[in-house]
Amino acid sequence: MCTTTPFLDQLCQIVTLGGHFRWSAVGTYLFNPYIVETIWLVIGLAILAQVFGTLIGLLLYFMRRTRFAASRWAANAYIWFFRGTPLLVQIYLVSYGINYIGLDPPLRAINFFPAIGYSQVQMYFFVAALLALSWNEGAYMAEIVRAGIDSIDPGQLEAARSLGMTYFVAMRRIVLPQAARTIVPPLGNEFNGMLKNTSLASVIGLTELLQTSINIGNALFLQLELFVVASFWYLMMTTVWTAIQAYIERKLNVSVTDFGPGQGSWTQRLLGFGRRGPVAVAGAGGINVPADRGAR
Amino acid sequence: MQGQGPGYPGGYGQPGPLSSGGQMAGGGPIQGGPMPGGSPPPASGPMPGGGPLHSGGPRPNDGSRVIPMVDARDVHKSFHHNEVLRGISMQIWRQEVVVLLGPSGSGKTTFLRCINHLEKINHGRIYVDGELIGYRELPNGELREDSEANIARKRAELGMVFQRFNLFPHLTALQNITEAPIRVRGVPRAQAEARARELLAKVGLADKADAYPNRLSGGQQQRVAIARALAMDPKLMLFDEPTSALDPELVGEVLKVMRQLAEEGMTMVVVTHEMGFAREVADRAIFIDGGVIVEQGRPTEMFANPREERTRAFLRKIL
Repeated sequence: MCTTTPFLDQLCQIVTLGGHFRWSAVGTYLFNPYIVETIWLVIGLAILAQVFGTLIGLLLYFMRRTRFAASRWAANAYIWFFRGTPLLVQIYLVSYGINYIGLDPPLRAINFFPAIGYSQVQMYFFVAALLALSWNEGAYMAEIVRAGIDSIDPGQLEAARSLGMTYFVAMRRIVLPQAARTIVPPLGNEFNGMLKNTSLASVIGLTELLQTSINIGNALFLQLELFVVASFWYLMMTTVWTAIQAYIERKLNVSVTDFGPGQGSWTQRLLGFGRRGPVAVAGAGGINVPADRGAR
Repeated sequence: MQGQGPGYPGGYGQPGPLSSGGQMAGGGPIQGGPMPGGSPPPASGPMPGGGPLHSGGPRPNDGSRVIPMVDARDVHKSFHHNEVLRGISMQIWRQEVVVLLGPSGSGKTTFLRCINHLEKINHGRIYVDGELIGYRELPNGELREDSEANIARKRAELGMVFQRFNLFPHLTALQNITEAPIRVRGVPRAQAEARARELLAKVGLADKADAYPNRLSGGQQQRVAIARALAMDPKLMLFDEPTSALDPELVGEVLKVMRQLAEEGMTMVVVTHEMGFAREVADRAIFIDGGVIVEQGRPTEMFANPREERTRAFLRKIL
């Protein structure tokens, strides 16, 4: 199968695992329509789970900041459970839980996936995966949101309230926009993880990217080749996301980092070098900067 | 303390059927005339309508129907087991400029923060313009913390300037000023921006409207903070050591704006160590130490001839 030239033959033996690995199959199935269509399913599932997870995280933050002990206790118990059990187990729990409480038939009834071209996807599996992923994500987002909000000088909330803003108006208009700058980088990392964690939904039968690859691989006895195909697409998704994340962070920083250190281009971020440093925020910290330095 | 004259305090003790919703709607038979928040005071007695006021000392309450801008009664405040305020009572009158002096930890800043309920109080009452601040009184005389909306509504009428400016770093100077009028009062954006530009011009920063706070010097930031508070048309301005975080050469520009405000008749309560400002601008100085008022009077007289030993010791250090 390989060449007769000694050196090239050795190289060939290595990259084909002794002639057993068929790169041609990888090439054939990389753009297989059944594979490619699941990419959008994965992205949709990850975005929805991340949005719900972030909302749950915010809710948990406020639950932990009230004076009602029951609310704080409930939030802490939630975080304790979802951070203390494996996501895979939670996916099983939710999936079987939905079945046990009888939500399975109604979910099958509203299954619109075949109508939009996903003949293999079951609403029941999708909802179970979405719930488990968002609930799990909520517990982690709660910590990230807390760190972000608590990093804002309490004087900001006081100033807003002294102007007559209620707690929630002050949070939405003053504190959260500033906390977003602290929250977004770890949020981006969470979403990166979320894209990959969707693959766990394969265990309950959701035909997403991994499960589809497994199905094809098993049918054709090309398992390893199809796992490489799946890896390629996960890598593509996370790579594109890293670029988007860097862009969002730059956008968020631009209004307040006037002479902070450079944020690095997205290529630098992608490759893991390029200087990133703390961002100078005067105002809250009261750093005095001579006025003439401020000229644009 | 004066101000316990006939007619005034009685109305607050007994919540009559008229005093509902936190509004003093003609609290008693003796206090004629409407006086809900925001309306001008009945022009009578010793309250000239505008112009610089330097009569000094507490306004005499000669029975005229004047309610104090701030009426604090026996205010106590503890942090854990540390009692910071041990019974502070004072009245601050319309258009009066009062400086609170005292060593650090004396409770002056805490008291200032109690006036707009940034700190809860453990005992006593604070009325601002006739309305109980932060609490509502139950029929049995007990106090319950007021609703968030009510507290916010009352705070909107009080301006506060902080030691560390506390400008919103993600907003420009102009947006810092327009945010509250737009979000709290529902003022149309164009109108709020026009007013903000006026206020920026007033504090001498007309050209900094689009600058973010970290592009401004400390003195400029503090002047924006004053403009931000003024944008809500407050009836009372609270200043918490407004020049303490500034480089010495920047103090003057902030004091100049404050002096101008005082001359326009703004009621001001100022915690400060600027004795020159106190002497020249304030109508009254109140020396607080150990959580109680030790001495008060006209600044010039008090600085020249303090009556109490504690005042004398403090002034010796600071003057």
